[in-house]
Amino acid sequence: MYRKQVRRRRAILVLLVVAALVLLSTQFSEREGGPLHSMQRAVASVFGPMEEGATRALKPARDLINWFDETFKARGENDDLRSELQQLRTQLVQAQSAEGENKQLRELLGIDREGTLAGYTPVTARVIGRSPTVWYSTVTVDKGSSAGVKMNDPVVTGDGLAGRITDVTGGTAVVSLITDDRSAVSARVLPDGPEGVAEPEVGDPSDLLLDFIDKSQPIHRGQILVTAGWSNGAISSAFPPGIPIGKVSETVVGDQQAFQRVHVTPYADIRGLDFVQVATGGPKRPGVPG
Amino acid sequence: MIITWRIGLRIALIVVVTIVLQISFFSYLSFFGTTPNVIPLMVVSLGLLGGGMIGAVCGFAAGLLLDSALLQTLGVSSLVLLGAGYLAGRYREGAEFSNSLIPPLLAGVLTTAAAAGFAAIQLMLGVHTPVSLLVLREIFVQGLLAVLLTIPIYPLIRWALRPAIVDDLTVLGARSPITRGASRAGRARGRRIRRAAGVS
Repeated sequence: MYRKQVRRRRAILVLLVVAALVLLSTQFSEREGGPLHSMQRAVASVFGPMEEGATRALKPARDLINWFDETFKARGENDDLRSELQQLRTQLVQAQSAEGENKQLRELLGIDREGTLAGYTPVTARVIGRSPTVWYSTVTVDKGSSAGVKMNDPVVTGDGLAGRITDVTGGTAVVSLITDDRSAVSARVLPDGPEGVAEPEVGDPSDLLLDFIDKSQPIHRGQILVTAGWSNGAISSAFPPGIPIGKVSETVVGDQQAFQRVHVTPYADIRGLDFVQVATGGPKRPGVPG
Repeated sequence: MIITWRIGLRIALIVVVTIVLQISFFSYLSFFGTTPNVIPLMVVSLGLLGGGMIGAVCGFAAGLLLDSALLQTLGVSSLVLLGAGYLAGRYREGAEFSNSLIPPLLAGVLTTAAAAGFAAIQLMLGVHTPVSLLVLREIFVQGLLAVLLTIPIYPLIRWALRPAIVDDLTVLGARSPITRGASRAGRARGRRIRRAAGVS
């Protein structure tokens, strides 16, 4: 009797392990829209409203707990922000004069003044879920295909680029953040710096890396990084040009290396996203499925 | 643990509520730059209360639901969590513990192991990242947070499943082997009674 029980327990355990491995390998080899993906989306659709309700209901408690953490951090950030404010005041004066010139030139060319996301329809979405591990930098938002959201639509916050849509159900969508391991954004350093690909330092939502930048092109702390909107006609970046990504926090040049590594702090508060804007219905970008 | 359909329902509810709370609440919190993960410690608590099989099945189900809800790679969390739940249950079945610090410490160790296992699977699946201090810090701090969070969560889960826990059934007249101060004779008597009752 006891032996039978032990055998049964072992069989169940082996079955569970095998089931987990089968799920893992099957989903890896399955194409998008296969039965496992469909089943996963169905479960996600059921969880969506529950997550949304819980997110709203628990926001005050969450804010209270995070207030302690943020207050602690804010003390350290205060000094940095003071010096940055001085720099930005100077830059603002320069930018205002440049904007005036820009406007006149646009008028001369007959181009309307357009924002970075001109041609897109912004859909505001609430963040209703996020992964607990550093390995998946994704969030779930409460707008899906029924609101016009499609795969690869850019996602922004009021501060800058947040990510792009990588999975859509009827009422929810998954945003892969710019700090996700699979993310790579073609980027340009302003005002006239080089172009490169901004990739994440996995697990650190406050750091992006712009690697393989020729060290003959000097890049300084505080310079701004925007999307380059790279395209060669056949393939292109999923992001339109000019969306702010972040600012350069450090440049590392090795003695024996021809390249420099540029560390960038994202403008978007990746850990504290509550609302985002999904840029839907934009112009078709070559090579970007959507 | 005596499993009836009511208890099964309670366990399912605990799993679902924990997942919803993790996705919608705990994942937004940040302590020392790390997000607390309560799912492994819920699975460990269920394993400690119900034994290896319940721990493994709950771990598998919790992982499957989590991966589905977040549209992550199916099977990764299931594999890791079923291991954590099973080991916690085996510990409970094989060792008598009279110290109330054991559940938090065990949850801390198994959460750390689960986070490390998760990291290992991710690396095997091709996540391009160096094994950095950042990842090690994340794993270590998650374990530490699990120790602290188990202190309120384990008694809460135990309370929710009270009617099914053999040690809490006064009708059996046995002192709980995990109650502080239980005597050696009391624990032995509890073991005899549970064996006679045919429950784990």
